[in-house]
Amino acid sequence: MHIDWAALGIVAVVSIATSVIFTILLAGGIRLVSAAKIKSNEGGSGTMILSMAYVLLGLAGLLVLFGIYLIIPRFH
Amino acid sequence: MGTDVTELFVVITVIVVALIFDFTNGFHDSANAMAGPVATGALRPRTAVILAAFLNLLGACLSTEVAKTISGGFFDDELITVPIILAGLVGAIVWNLMTWLLGLPSSSSHALFGGLIGAVVVGAGIASVNGWVIVSKVLLPAIVAPLVAGIAAAWATRLAYSITRKTPSVHSETGFKYGQAFTASMVALAHGTSDGQKTMGVITLVLIAANLQAPGSGPQAWVIIAAGVAIGLGTYSGGWRIMRTMGKGIVEIETPQGAASGAATSATILASAHLGFGLSTTHVSTGSILGSGVGRGAEVRWNVASRMAFAWLLTLPGAGMVGGLSALLADQGVFGVVALMVLLTVACLVIYILSRRHKITHANVTDSHEVLVLAAATPTTYPDDPRLEAPKPKKTKKPKAKSAA
Repeated sequence: MHIDWAALGIVAVVSIATSVIFTILLAGGIRLVSAAKIKSNEGGSGTMILSMAYVLLGLAGLLVLFGIYLIIPRFH
Repeated sequence: MGTDVTELFVVITVIVVALIFDFTNGFHDSANAMAGPVATGALRPRTAVILAAFLNLLGACLSTEVAKTISGGFFDDELITVPIILAGLVGAIVWNLMTWLLGLPSSSSHALFGGLIGAVVVGAGIASVNGWVIVSKVLLPAIVAPLVAGIAAAWATRLAYSITRKTPSVHSETGFKYGQAFTASMVALAHGTSDGQKTMGVITLVLIAANLQAPGSGPQAWVIIAAGVAIGLGTYSGGWRIMRTMGKGIVEIETPQGAASGAATSATILASAHLGFGLSTTHVSTGSILGSGVGRGAEVRWNVASRMAFAWLLTLPGAGMVGGLSALLADQGVFGVVALMVLLTVACLVIYILSRRHKITHANVTDSHEVLVLAAATPTTYPDDPRLEAPKPKKTKKPKAKSAA
């Protein structure tokens, strides 16, 4: 009986990388949405920042969708 | 004819006990997904368990492909008989209930393997168990899971805080709460697909062994629905004691931290399920919460964490002991099975009555970080504590006495 160290290493790297990427996208999106709100409250146009925020949040959403794809066995 | 009736009785008993195990599996693991969102208020306690219950049921129904074996490589498949399955399930149920009473998260899969191993050891001797598999499938993952998830959560938490450092918390709280709700829902759905299978596999195996189903065929529709409903009901009932330990006991969870630990939990669970190194959901979620606490620089209650680690170590031998003792009875024909069921009912009742002394419900789950078992442990009072209600009858009696006079 052997221990699959390679699989263990891959699981560790993928888990840590995905968590970090998802959090960066989510936190970045939140920060930009807030910045856009503040800017429009101050009378400026936050559209540019807001669209960037939605890009980040959209990517985070894609990660969630990919997760759901992985969970449901019928998809693969 | 007589043998057929007794066989049918045993089969029905095993199915009922398997569904009870599924139920305990549900409420034991409810906290894995929902402890974080409940602790931060991202989801209200009732909403959280209803959502998790629905997703567990959905997940169970989505995964119709059950594992062909339940031995997990720990021992020879041929050693699995119906009495051994029954004894293994009893061991797992009793262990799940005992750890629930103490508010300790522990892996339901390990409990089931432990119960089965104990029963096999009693039936076929210790030599029939493959010790290496225990090391590679139980001991190593129990160390790796909290480490990997913990590191992931610690880094994610640091990043979440540093990115939103200048963002007004009114704005960041809402965003992180949404993130937390999404990741928690993914954990609940993944839990339904993986753990619902276990019970379906057990029931299908028993039906095939009793010649009630063709060998090699998948679970029948009623088995899928029954297993899904059992795990869903278990999840709905909440397991508030474990939720308190995970949401409040290990470390106080703030919203960005909760979102980061949720991300780490779902990422690690999905990676382990699809990249070939199986990790327990319970160990992963606990590790994430612990790691997120370290990442935020919060005060982690290491005594709670070490008590949990101790429970993880004891899960396999503990459930194994109960499973082994149960196997002695389960092998004695119908009377043995009936006696075992009576003992199981008594054990469940005793644990339930003990849990009533310090009841933890959806209403008080986040009020404290302690899970008390015996009244003598600490004189803390909770809203449901009978001592708080004791003075009430006196007050109502007084005016009555006056009016009578």
